[in-house]
Formats: sequence, C-alpha cells, structure tokens
Amino acid sequence: MNREKTYAIVGVGYTPQGRVPGRTSLSFHLEACTNAIADAGLAKDDIDGLVCYRHFPASSDENDLTPYLVAQHLGIEPAYLSQDAN
Amino acid sequence: MLDAGLCQNVLISYGHNALSSDSMLAMLMDFAGDDAVFGHFGATGGYALAARRAMHEFNTGPQTWKHIAVDQRAWANLNPLAVMHGRPMSFDNYLSSKYVVEPLRLPDNCLVNDGGRAVIVTTLERARDLRHRPAVILGLGQHNPSVQVAQSGALTDSTGARKACETALSMAGITRDDVDACEIYDCFTYTVEVTLQDYGFFGPGEGEAWFAGGTIGPGGRMPVNTSGGQLSEAYYMGLTPLSEAAMQIMGRCGDRQLGPATETNEPNIILVSDNGGILQAHSCCVLGRI
Amino acid sequence: MAYEKPLPRINGDNRQFWEGCKNHELKFQKCASCGHVRFPPSLVCPRCLCRDIEWIVSAGVGKVYTYAVYHAIYHEGFRKDAPYVVAVVELQEGPRLLTNIVGCAPGEVSCEMPVSVVWEDVTPDISLPLFRPAV
Repeated sequence: MNREKTYAIVGVGYTPQGRVPGRTSLSFHLEACTNAIADAGLAKDDIDGLVCYRHFPASSDENDLTPYLVAQHLGIEPAYLSQDAN
Repeated sequence: MLDAGLCQNVLISYGHNALSSDSMLAMLMDFAGDDAVFGHFGATGGYALAARRAMHEFNTGPQTWKHIAVDQRAWANLNPLAVMHGRPMSFDNYLSSKYVVEPLRLPDNCLVNDGGRAVIVTTLERARDLRHRPAVILGLGQHNPSVQVAQSGALTDSTGARKACETALSMAGITRDDVDACEIYDCFTYTVEVTLQDYGFFGPGEGEAWFAGGTIGPGGRMPVNTSGGQLSEAYYMGLTPLSEAAMQIMGRCGDRQLGPATETNEPNIILVSDNGGILQAHSCCVLGRI
Repeated sequence: MAYEKPLPRINGDNRQFWEGCKNHELKFQKCASCGHVRFPPSLVCPRCLCRDIEWIVSAGVGKVYTYAVYHAIYHEGFRKDAPYVVAVVELQEGPRLLTNIVGCAPGEVSCEMPVSVVWEDVTPDISLPLFRPAV
C-alpha cells in the first residue's frame, strides 16, 4: 500500500436525533460539522475541503441548503467544495 | 481531490429536519415527477417494484427480510443513541405490521428522523498525529447503472453493487473472506439483501437460509449495520453506514462494539456501501485498521 | 367533478407521446439506425446515439414485469383507489412503461401476467394508458 496516497476517517460528529422539533436542516449540518472537527482534534481552519451530501428539498420555512451556506456559517473558505448525491 | 493535493482535511456533512418539517412531502412530489400521474411516489414504491420482481425471480420476501429488520433492531438496542433503542422487535411484530407499499411493510422502511452526521477524512500521515485510531480507507469502488426503475429490465441483477465491490476489494488487495463486518446502506430491508447478494455472500434466493439464526445480529458470524442502521438507528444517507464503520474501527462503540463485547470478529476490515436513486448508483468502501 | 390526480407535464420531448395517447395510440420512438424502440422519448438513441427516428404505434399488449400495491396514501387524489396497483408493463415492442393495472383485484396481479392497454380519458387533452388483464 502506498502510504502517501492513503486516507482515513479521523473524526465523527453526531447530533441529537429522532424527533427534534424547532431545528433547521442547516443547524443539524453545523452541529454535526463542529462536533466532527472537535472529535478529530482539528481546528476549523484546518478544514480545506467540504462535501455536503445531496439534500432533500428544503422545508417551506428554510432556504435551499447549499454547501456555500454551510461553509459560510462555519466561517471557512474550502479549497475544494462539492455536493455529492451518492 | 485529496490525491491531487488540493486539500488535506475534508469534512463530509449531512443534516435534515426530515421528521419535524414539511420537506418530506415536497420531496415525494418533486422526486415522483410524472410517475405521480399513476400514483407512484417516493422510494418505497420504487424499491417495492424491485423487491416484487426479485420475489418472482428467486426465493425472497418477508421471510428473508424479517431477519434483517429484527437483527438490526437488536443492534439498535445496544446503541443508546438509536432512535429505536428500547423498542425490541420480534418476527411476529415484523410480520404483523402493516404494508406501506406491498410487498414492503413499515419496518422494511428506513427511519424518517431529524438530525445530522459528519465525518472528517484526512491523510494517513496526518491521521497518525490525531487522537483516534484512524479508520483507513483501503479501497473504493463505484458503479452506476443509472436506469430508472420503471425502465430497468434487470432489477434483480444490476444494482451496481457487484462491480463496485469488485473494484473496492481489488484496490484493497483483499477478498470477501477477509471481511469482518458490513455496514450496508439500508433504505429498505431488501436493499441489504440484494447488496450482500451482489457482494457474493450468498447466491440469489439463498438469503433466507444465510440470514437465519442471527447471522448479522449481535454475536453473529457476519455483523451488519451494528448501530441499528437506517432501519433502526437514524437516516443520514451514506453517512449512517460510513460513520458507524469508522466508529467500530476506532473501537468507540460501547455495548455494541465488535469484538469480545459482542462475541463477534474484531473489526479489522469493514465493507461499507451506499446507494443512490432506486438501485441506480452504488458505492462500496473498504475501511480497516492498519 | 374536476380531475384530482396529478397530470403529466408536457414538454418538447414527450409531446408526441401524449398527443398519441389523446388519440388512444401508444406511440414509441424507433431508432432509424439500429431499430431500438425506446421509452421515454428522447433526442438520442441510448444504444447508438443516432438522432433519427420514426414513430411506431404499439399494439398495446404486453406483460407485467413487476408491480407494487399501494396501501399508503401519498396524494389525496388516490385515496379512493387504495389499495391500487402500480406496475411496470413490458410491451411486446420492447419498452417498459410505468402504469396502473385495473380491472382486477390487486391480489390477482402477478409478474408475467399478460395485459392489454385500456384508455382513461381524464381531461379533454390527456388520456392515460392503463392496463388490464388480457382477455
């Protein structure tokens, strides 16, 4: 195995789950992201790539949830950013 | 993009207020398109079409799927975070539950829940300096048959799982026999069956016998969806299986931890899957300890 | 009473299909180059990428490839129909079509069951190709 080209998962972020009323989808993204950053022992400025999973249509009281919005609220400017469906 | 050196620390995120907002209704109508003309909505109907064709072609159905639903619920009962923690399920509970879109019953469906999940991927070199044992990405594969369920003439043998798995195992330099556990994208019970079947754990129609006796549950010889999965823990698209595989490899799973705690194999190699559409896209990832 | 179910959205790709339906003709594109009969209608043949086509009129007979019985109500317009059958019908000419099976109980439907088209005129401009057990 080429160790220079090997990658690993180093942090996981959870949130309350189940029925959690009064929360936006964006707030769940942000809570999961900040918990994952802390779990890995990284600082937010270390994050230079952001991949948001494809989202479902936004609820009627929330704006469309783009990776830009997540990055904006995390205060990061990733070198790589995408939304992936798979 | 990691390989190209564009970035070092990638955050992968998902969040959805699916249960407490009106967005699922919008999703049902958006995704249905002109299928709505005939009353065909959402993923349950699509997977029901695939599952029914499978029942026609080989031995499968509720008697196979009950093992998946019940064993994953048993895992959820070892996971205090799971939405279905504290709500055990028996075969009778499963078989007496109501149909949503026949042949799929309510417990054949993944959960609809509020919440989010995120993971961070970085280089192995960087990972060595961080606090957790790294869950190393040993292999990846993807295959996308893409055809809509209504036009597919190969619903039962074209999920993309077979090719994606071959690619991932080959990249990892391992065989299926090296796999200690699986975290399978389980939007529906049938998805777990057809994925493991395409991965080669059993032949078409042999699932019922393979699953019987708690094969995938706590103490089983091939643990599957050890958090409870999307059926019984929570739904975060591919991040439900991927995050659980990482946590198992890190050894942070408490009562449900693979190894001596649950009388299962040490999780040195875990096979992880993700699906898109109605069996239109498939990703496979080999995570492990090195 | 106004029709309460969703209607197809007509666009540049599917207009001729739905105009055929209005005349109770099930029309498919046939590739002028390789002969592949396709559905849904589109610009190019998915087998050979040829753009030349002819429209053929299907005999309207085929068999059930697969089906699902809807017990859940996702749209109020279907409440009175439940449980109803959504099916994929494989036409004799090759294409597969999402549709409903009518004229028999859901429990009588099976994969490979022979079926034939029956037209439901839902608005002055839209007729839906549904299928019933072949006689």
